[in-house]
Amino acid sequence: MEKELLHGTLEVLILKTLSWGPMHGFGIGRWIEQLSGNELRIEEGSLYPALYRIEKKGWVDASWGVSDNQRRAKYYRLTTEGRRQLHKNADTWSTFAHAVARVLGAKQQPAS
Amino acid sequence: MSTTPLWRRYLRFWGSDPGADVDDEFAFHVETRVDELVAQGFSAKAAREEALRGFGDIQQVKAICRTLAEERERTMQRTQWWADWRHDLRFAVRQLIVSPLLTAVLMVTIAVGIGATVAIFSVLNAVLLRPLPWADSDRLVFVYETWREFRQGSASVGHFHDWTEQGEVFEQTAALTRATFNLSDGEPERVSGVRVTPGYFRALQIPPVLGSYFTEAEVARDPRLVVLGDGLWRRRFAGDPSLVGRTIRLNGQTHTVVGIAPPENNMTQLAPQLFAPLVFPPQQRFNYGAHSFTVLAKLKAGVSRDAAQVDMERVTRGIAEREPKNMEGRGVNVRSYSDVMFGDFRTPAYVMLASVICVLLIGCVNVANLLLARATTRRREIAIRSAIGGGRWRIVRQLLTESVMLALLGGAAGVGLAYFGIRLLVDFGPRNAPRLQNAGLQPEVLLFAFGITLLTGLAFGLAPALRAARANMLTPLREGSKSALRGAGRDRLRGGLVVGEIAVAVVLLVSAGLFIRSAWRLQQVPLGFEVRSVLSARLALPPERYAADEAVADAYRRILEHARAVPGIGRAGASTGIPLVGGGPDASVQVEGKPFSPGSAVSPAIRLITEDYVEAIGMVRVRGRTMTASDMAAGAAPVVVVNERLASLAWPGEDPIGKRLSTWTREIDKPEWREVVGVVGDVRSFGPDTPARPELFLPYTQPPVMAWPAFQRSMALVVRVRSTDDAAAHVSSLRSAVRVVDSTLPLYEVLTMEQALGADGAGTRFSTWLMSLLAATGLLLAAVGIYGVISYFVTQRTSEIGLRLALGATPQSVLIMVVRHGATLAVIGIVIGLIAALGATRAVRTLLFEISATDPTTYVVGGMALFGIALLACAVPAVRAVRVSPMQSLAEQ
Repeated sequence: MEKELLHGTLEVLILKTLSWGPMHGFGIGRWIEQLSGNELRIEEGSLYPALYRIEKKGWVDASWGVSDNQRRAKYYRLTTEGRRQLHKNADTWSTFAHAVARVLGAKQQPAS
Repeated sequence: MSTTPLWRRYLRFWGSDPGADVDDEFAFHVETRVDELVAQGFSAKAAREEALRGFGDIQQVKAICRTLAEERERTMQRTQWWADWRHDLRFAVRQLIVSPLLTAVLMVTIAVGIGATVAIFSVLNAVLLRPLPWADSDRLVFVYETWREFRQGSASVGHFHDWTEQGEVFEQTAALTRATFNLSDGEPERVSGVRVTPGYFRALQIPPVLGSYFTEAEVARDPRLVVLGDGLWRRRFAGDPSLVGRTIRLNGQTHTVVGIAPPENNMTQLAPQLFAPLVFPPQQRFNYGAHSFTVLAKLKAGVSRDAAQVDMERVTRGIAEREPKNMEGRGVNVRSYSDVMFGDFRTPAYVMLASVICVLLIGCVNVANLLLARATTRRREIAIRSAIGGGRWRIVRQLLTESVMLALLGGAAGVGLAYFGIRLLVDFGPRNAPRLQNAGLQPEVLLFAFGITLLTGLAFGLAPALRAARANMLTPLREGSKSALRGAGRDRLRGGLVVGEIAVAVVLLVSAGLFIRSAWRLQQVPLGFEVRSVLSARLALPPERYAADEAVADAYRRILEHARAVPGIGRAGASTGIPLVGGGPDASVQVEGKPFSPGSAVSPAIRLITEDYVEAIGMVRVRGRTMTASDMAAGAAPVVVVNERLASLAWPGEDPIGKRLSTWTREIDKPEWREVVGVVGDVRSFGPDTPARPELFLPYTQPPVMAWPAFQRSMALVVRVRSTDDAAAHVSSLRSAVRVVDSTLPLYEVLTMEQALGADGAGTRFSTWLMSLLAATGLLLAAVGIYGVISYFVTQRTSEIGLRLALGATPQSVLIMVVRHGATLAVIGIVIGLIAALGATRAVRTLLFEISATDPTTYVVGGMALFGIALLACAVPAVRAVRVSPMQSLAEQ
């Protein structure tokens, strides 16, 4: 369950990142780190499997292009389906994250 | 700084390579990170270590990604594949809808071709291919005695017992003989049945519907047992199960019904309605002289027919050593059941299937030609498709999808047509073809239909598809519209197809010609008796009331007297055997003054006849006289009438009148002389295609010993009616003449000689008719094919013809140009076809009567007929070509 949860989180974060435009794996990881104020460190060992997973699901597709540093890089782009998934999951996740924050921030034992 | 060798990248040229992609992607990541870290002051080595840290076990991560990528790749290919199919199908449907007339023409052609092929196949399947209903039916054989050139003779009691007891190859043996019975509970009825030894049921191993079959022990206690056939039981006894154990009256005697046999027990063409025990009196055990039984046997497992033949020859040699006199010229012949039953139908059935496939092929060529013509108009579309990246294989697949779909639609309609075709074939097919009525759309027939439909679709679709894919993609785009149609190669393919279909049509036409000529010759054969205005009906007298020879003769005399009194009936006679309807026993003849040995003696068919019989049936008196009433009187001198064949065999070059012969005697060495008083013309008793046999006629009042029991006290009445009367209309008067004498006697085998002859030639007539129909269809289709190609030729050259006419060419020269094109194709096709026919018609050789399979007339006429039709087919487009208006055709450019 925990793993699923984490997988899901990472996937939504990737989708969110890609909603600004096509990017390669390196850039996606960097963007997430920056956006989270360097709070989140995305391990490459998780990032790439997540990218391949959502590519397989058809949420993103990829093509080869040339990066800023003049190297051949694989760029990911959000598909229509990916955009739909982002909207759906983003809501769920913010609700969930809110709920988690409320639980963890609780000062009182609930009445039974 | 890629670590991937350059050549690996080229692998992607042939398709994606997920492994390499993952390597490249990870390499990019690591290198970018290293650059970054080095810029921050890390050493190259430290930077690389730092960069790799985030991956953990990089090989494992790579493996995960690679697997995911590969899975994705597979899913995508599958999706793509289905999407392509959906697209092809949608496109094909649109193509079919866009030109409904063309689609209809194509579908009808395919439906008729496939329908006819499936119908014929279903008949072939029912008659020849369906398994026999008996366990190990491939082990069933018939054992025949042979005599000179007769390979399938009946066996004697002695042979049957010796074969059974001394043979080592059989698991079961059974003797059977045809018998008819008067069934006289209620309305008297004559039913056909067989007398069988109990081994018959054990050989076939079909469980009874009810009760049981009789065994040797039961028959020994009481031979008056009977097994009823399912059909008779249902028809006459309303399927009453309590009948088993009760008695019925057969031939005036009570018989106990022991069981009911299912229809599958009908294993001969005799279609027996009941089975009675065949019992041999002990004194008959060593009778090797009277040959009247059919012997059925079941081989032991693993024994071949050849081995059985060898073993039977051994046993039969033993008989010959003990009985040299009876065995002269005799041998033994073991034949498999299916050969005997289906052998005669194999060749015609396969010839018909081959012919109908020829028609289907011709149809395919026409369809291919039409599709080729359409492909030409679609060349631009196809060129555009391939220019924007449609692979060659995709285009072939697209076109093949179209033609296979067309074939499937046509095939489905064809199966519908086949349903009716089968009904026609069963209704009009030869009655004697075993199992013909079972023909239908069985699963294996439908499978065949499906297979042949797919093959058809590929056959007519492949040429246009490959051609379209091979065509130069750019030419049609670069050139205009019309000139793009010109292409010598395309014409050559279409021409080749037409040549092929003409050749196939010639083969069909020549085969049909041979059949027709053979049938015509058959019709010209003099039968030796009169067919028109002759009615015959058979009856048999029950032994218990007509035991004595005199009683039998008296009954027939009185019946005939009553028959002659009927107005409209001219001559009335009777014979124990009449032409075309059943035969009769043979007996060897001893000629006075000549050495006699039973084996080499002449064995004519023996017939007991009344006065007037020869006249009634319309046989020709050649010499002397025929039987008169005085020959029939009590105490008259023993006389015989012989036919010409017998006369020439017994007294070659001599006048037989006044000579004496002896036959069917009480004792083998004591001749009973009878004087020849007349010679009659030969009669083709077994139909026009079988030569006349020797025949011997005795007065019915002078029967040889035990002759009436041997003939089952049965005679066929033959009456000749006024030529203005319908012979069939006199059945009731004949029936009442019999009823006056004995109201319990049923009439059977009631038919006019015209009907008898019709039934006899039914098989030949049917194949001739079918063959002619197929050839006509083939001819028509070939004509349509050549018409199509020449029309196309003219359409293509409209501007050229217009130019020629404008430059002063005469209409004749244009006409000749067009017709010459068609005639060239026709002549090539005809020549190829005639050569092919020489080979192909060898298959029908055995089906032809007195005509060679290489009969020059048929070939010449067949070739000319096709040439004529081809010229006619060219004429229409040729005339259109002449009418081309030069101005208009040039303006169109």
